[in-house]
Amino acid sequence: MKDYFKNVWLGVWTALIGMRITIDHLFRKNVTVQYPNVHPKDKAGWMDMPSNARNRLYVDMDECNGCNSCARACPVNCISIETVRSVPGDAPPPLASGGKRNLWVSQFEIDFTKCCFCSLCTEACPTGAIVMTTEFEYSSYNRYDLVYNFVKLQNSMSDEKIAEVKEKWAEHQKEKKKEAVEPK
Amino acid sequence: MEEANFVFNMIGENWIAFAIISLLPMIFLLAYALIAILGELKISAFIQERLGPMRTGPWGIIQPVAEVVKLLQKEDITPDSANKPLFNLAPFIMFAASYAGFAVIPFSSYFVPSGINLGLFFLLAVGSLGIIGLLMGGWASNNKYSLLGGLRAVAQIVSYEIPAAMVILTIAVMAGSLDLQEIIRQQSGWFWNWFVFGGSGGWIKIIFLPFSFIMCIIYIIASLAETNRTPFDIPEGESELVAGYHTEYSGMKFAMFFFAEYANMFIVSAIITIIFFGGWNSPFGDFMGGPIWGVFWFVSKAFVFVFLQIWLRWTLPRLRVDQLMYVSWKVLLPFSFVCFLALSLLVMLK
Amino acid sequence: MEDLLFYLFAFVVIGSASVVVLSKNIMYSAFSLLFTFFGVAGLYVLLFADFVALTQIMVYIGGILVLIIFGVLLTTKITGVDIKSGTTGKVQLITASVVVVIIAISLILLFTNVEWVNQEFVQPNTTIDSIGFAFMTKYLLPFEIAAVLLLIALVGATLIARRK
Repeated sequence: MKDYFKNVWLGVWTALIGMRITIDHLFRKNVTVQYPNVHPKDKAGWMDMPSNARNRLYVDMDECNGCNSCARACPVNCISIETVRSVPGDAPPPLASGGKRNLWVSQFEIDFTKCCFCSLCTEACPTGAIVMTTEFEYSSYNRYDLVYNFVKLQNSMSDEKIAEVKEKWAEHQKEKKKEAVEPK
Repeated sequence: MEEANFVFNMIGENWIAFAIISLLPMIFLLAYALIAILGELKISAFIQERLGPMRTGPWGIIQPVAEVVKLLQKEDITPDSANKPLFNLAPFIMFAASYAGFAVIPFSSYFVPSGINLGLFFLLAVGSLGIIGLLMGGWASNNKYSLLGGLRAVAQIVSYEIPAAMVILTIAVMAGSLDLQEIIRQQSGWFWNWFVFGGSGGWIKIIFLPFSFIMCIIYIIASLAETNRTPFDIPEGESELVAGYHTEYSGMKFAMFFFAEYANMFIVSAIITIIFFGGWNSPFGDFMGGPIWGVFWFVSKAFVFVFLQIWLRWTLPRLRVDQLMYVSWKVLLPFSFVCFLALSLLVMLK
Repeated sequence: MEDLLFYLFAFVVIGSASVVVLSKNIMYSAFSLLFTFFGVAGLYVLLFADFVALTQIMVYIGGILVLIIFGVLLTTKITGVDIKSGTTGKVQLITASVVVVIIAISLILLFTNVEWVNQEFVQPNTTIDSIGFAFMTKYLLPFEIAAVLLLIALVGATLIARRK
């Protein structure tokens, strides 16, 4: 009997608590941004996107060591990386954060028509080179414009340089083969 | 006072007057439906800290017009395997039942479409008429969700009619009349004469205040269930039954169901206003009294309860079927019996 | 005006009642009852029996009809119910026809032969007061007996529902 009245009282009381919460929210400031008319960046109280917003990816080529972790983590295979191994004595410049690099990253393509913004690549990256940005307005009339090659975009390696390192590696391979065939 | 109706006073009791009287609530209902749809959209949006519709008109205020136009021009689909006569009849019965309730609603001391002596009983009786439309639509759709929705709706409405009837019985005892105008007239004066505060009378009514408050709450809960609004919307629970009894309806016929639901919302709000909150009486004695202000007071009081219904919809989650029955039979009914006895005692002491 | 309404309601009652009887779809029969009850309520209103009319709507449409439809929904064969059940033979047909004809003839004779007294009619303002007084004074015992009967039915129904 006591439980019954307590239950009824709780039922009414909790409903009232819920109503207080909703009426409180009724008079709060709305968070919606009227996007095409108002840019989120322009709206007061919206300094920028939230820190965990997931939009267009950015790759800092000075930080990338070509480990391919991001491409392997990508569930939709939108990242394709080509690397060229460096010959001894001609190592690529070290990472901006100071780590060693053994690979020349000759191509780093992200196909944003495929990207699903899952952010798994940023978690896989050991150097923090690939990050999510707050940029989201990058639609295009041509879908090939959405395939971003960050090597070209940041001009981290010119075409001649790529050809040169490839040539060097090929020579190095040949020398190695020769050494293997005719040991001294 | 004689049955006052300003239309009869103006043009006499003839056919035109009857036509005008029967159409006036319809005009009100159309305007009200637009406001209520907008209110539902905007209040739900603001409660969730959204903006709601913003594109149609300034701040989206003509969104309901757009919705109505959309519904009117949609294709009117009748499923192949549905029972066509009953399928087409159901929305009309639903709407007719809702609109019938407006026949006795006193909008002002000088306007009530039909001032019959049994207004309160009429509202109770007509309220149970819509069930048939529900059941008909649910069965004729030949869809398992519709049928389940219809059955649930009937089980729910039939059980919640009993506490509601108990409350109405109590009001009949307190007012000594079933005439809605008479009930309202007894609550004239300041707001403490309203039946929610125990009606007019001496200070002894303070002892009985909790009972009349509980009665009011019981009626609000029961009326929510009778209009199938959240938290009692199990007949059309989207997550379980798609849309319940009107799953198969589209276009104009869906609009009629929709319209009937909103009309029902207003009718129960009007009943709460009439029986507990003094109808068209001004809350402050003679301040802003009179028949024209009466319309204002009546409509604004009723809109407060429409707002309450919308507010509750976005606050409380849906009840389970067994909880629904528990609330009706094991909570509302015993409480209403006790309150009925207590308030009858108050009437005897007066 | 009243005559017109009377014929309208009478037509609704008879038309829907014949659908109830003749329809092969039991669902149509159940839903036609709605119009029958409603028409009867209208006839009550024309007889100035407003309380009885509303009770008709409340009890018959809101309660009994819903229960009937529930019952019909629980039956397996909703459409195509054969009105002549298999065992109905000519014997039953003839007997039934004879009984119906006898009842009809006696009713017609009754109507035509009895000298009906046309009482001076006073339009009552409301019937509910007189109904209430009659229930509480002259017909108190039948009223109470009916109440006790309903209470017994209620208790019995609860008892049956409780038993596993």
